[in-house]
Amino acid sequence: MLSFKNMSIRKKLILMQVFTSVLVLVIMFLIFIITDVKAYKQRKVDSTMSIAQVLGTNSISVIQFQDPQAAMEMLNQLHSVSPSIIQAAILNSKGEVVAQYAPEGSKPIKPPANMRDSAHRFTDSTLMVTYPIISANENIGKIILVSKLVELKKTLRDNYRFAIILILVAVGFTFIVANVIQGYISKRLLLLVNTMKKVHKTGNYSTPLIDEGNDEITTLINVYNGMMEQISENVKKKDEFIGIASHELKTPLTTIKGYVEMLQMMEEDPAKKQFVDSAFKNVLKLEDLVKDLLDVSKIESGQLQLEMAEFDISQLVDETIASAQETSANHQIKRNDELKEVMIYGDRKRIEQVMINLLSNAVKYSPGEKEVIVTLEKNQHDLTVRVRDFGLGIPEEEHEYIFDRFYRTKGSSVHISGFGLGLYICRDIIKRHGGKIWIDSMDKGTRFNFSLPILTKTQQAEK
Amino acid sequence: MILKKLLFIVLLSCTGIHVSAQDATQEANLKAAFIYNIAKYIDWGGYNNRNEFIIGVVGNSSKVIIPLQEIAKNRTIANKRIVIVTIDNLAQIKDCDIVFISKESPFSLSSILSRLAPGELTISESKGYASRGTDFNFVIVDQRLKFEANLKAISSSGLKAGSQLLKLAIITD
Repeated sequence: MLSFKNMSIRKKLILMQVFTSVLVLVIMFLIFIITDVKAYKQRKVDSTMSIAQVLGTNSISVIQFQDPQAAMEMLNQLHSVSPSIIQAAILNSKGEVVAQYAPEGSKPIKPPANMRDSAHRFTDSTLMVTYPIISANENIGKIILVSKLVELKKTLRDNYRFAIILILVAVGFTFIVANVIQGYISKRLLLLVNTMKKVHKTGNYSTPLIDEGNDEITTLINVYNGMMEQISENVKKKDEFIGIASHELKTPLTTIKGYVEMLQMMEEDPAKKQFVDSAFKNVLKLEDLVKDLLDVSKIESGQLQLEMAEFDISQLVDETIASAQETSANHQIKRNDELKEVMIYGDRKRIEQVMINLLSNAVKYSPGEKEVIVTLEKNQHDLTVRVRDFGLGIPEEEHEYIFDRFYRTKGSSVHISGFGLGLYICRDIIKRHGGKIWIDSMDKGTRFNFSLPILTKTQQAEK
Repeated sequence: MILKKLLFIVLLSCTGIHVSAQDATQEANLKAAFIYNIAKYIDWGGYNNRNEFIIGVVGNSSKVIIPLQEIAKNRTIANKRIVIVTIDNLAQIKDCDIVFISKESPFSLSSILSRLAPGELTISESKGYASRGTDFNFVIVDQRLKFEANLKAISSSGLKAGSQLLKLAIITD
């Protein structure tokens, strides 16, 4: 069974309302039934008492003239007039029975010894009434009537049936009403939850939630909006900072790179040249990082522009493989297709950036002497480039985050450098080309793919 | 004490007293009580201006006289003291409220009936007397003491009998 604790707010709200209404109804019906039964019993006592009274008055002469036959006739008449009276007796003052009728086989009536002259007593299904017969202030006998409470059972049964039907109807209505009311509360909560999930996924903090209520949920939503505002303000500041920092870093870095490059050309001493080479290599690395930061800041601010032209991607791939091979002598980077001269329309420099990124990732994440295989595939509409490595691999659950900003795989060791911006930039570039970039799971290692549409110039122009 | 006992038997004990099983005294007691009880159900009108209620018994050897006298001691009818007289002379009849014509009556019925004044009730205990003109007549039916009522006679005497009384009576013409 579902415990109350684990239920959704929606169900809790409905349950609470239904339970409350059922409780109220049950209490109401109990009171109603008790009152009804009490009233019924009182009516029954009153009516039986008055019958006894009439009978008593009519029995005076019967007792005085000792006429049991007449008494019997009277009782029989009584029985036919009110059949609910199942037993009746006329007693004289000694308590002896003058006349009585009783169902066959039943014992003669005997009133309890402690019963007063004018009294009534209930059993489960009967009512016994006694009434004195008084003539000229003299108590000359007693009437005893036993009435069956047939209507009581019927009344009770009817009441219960009525109550159950009404409670069922009420539960139905409360359920409907509760459903409507809970919608007002839980819908807003769910909206908040879903928005938070979406924000968590997209990182888009700037859309505020609108709520027209004026309760705790509204407060919650307002607090949430305030938080989101603060976060998006912080994100904006961070982006601004990245933009400014990367710009400010780039200028001195260009100068340093120029001088180090010059030094590299000028230096003849092999020992010193080695230092300069090393410095130059690190300057290049630094330059790459700064460039990545600049690209991100451009992407964020929407300033990344593509310079579109027609170019041969096959040739571009060969070039990038060659340059990547140059920087990592330990890896074997191979191309594994026969495609030649595949013309596509795009920003050659940016596509090159994507290729370099993927290749350097493949090398970075497959330490040791390993193979990296590049494959080009072409169909009528698309060209697909696949970069396959046999390295550490990326767990499947991380695939959806791998293209996010500043995301680095959990398994990344400290030795593998980078901000986690490369794939984010790649995705943006490919997206801007109308293409797709994705990751495939492999038994060993990873395969990154991107596809670009093959468009003729006219198609491009139309676009 | 005797009276009390008697009243008990007569008024209150109703568990089928079989007349034939009793002796004559018992029957007389019952009849006396019936006379008293019948008197209670009669609307006596304004005929009696006296301070007492007179029950005349015709036949001075009747056993009913003694129990009637017992009843008269501390009971009243129509708020009047009860006086029991024996009627030896037909001239006494006009001064009674109830005339009880016993079996021992020395007079003929017609001679008694012809001397009744308005507002007088006649009760007899001889077979066929009710149909011959008395208002009430004691009979034994199924070994029980019962009484006949002659409605014509009652109304012609200017009296009214209560329905409670008449419902127990055997009505005769």
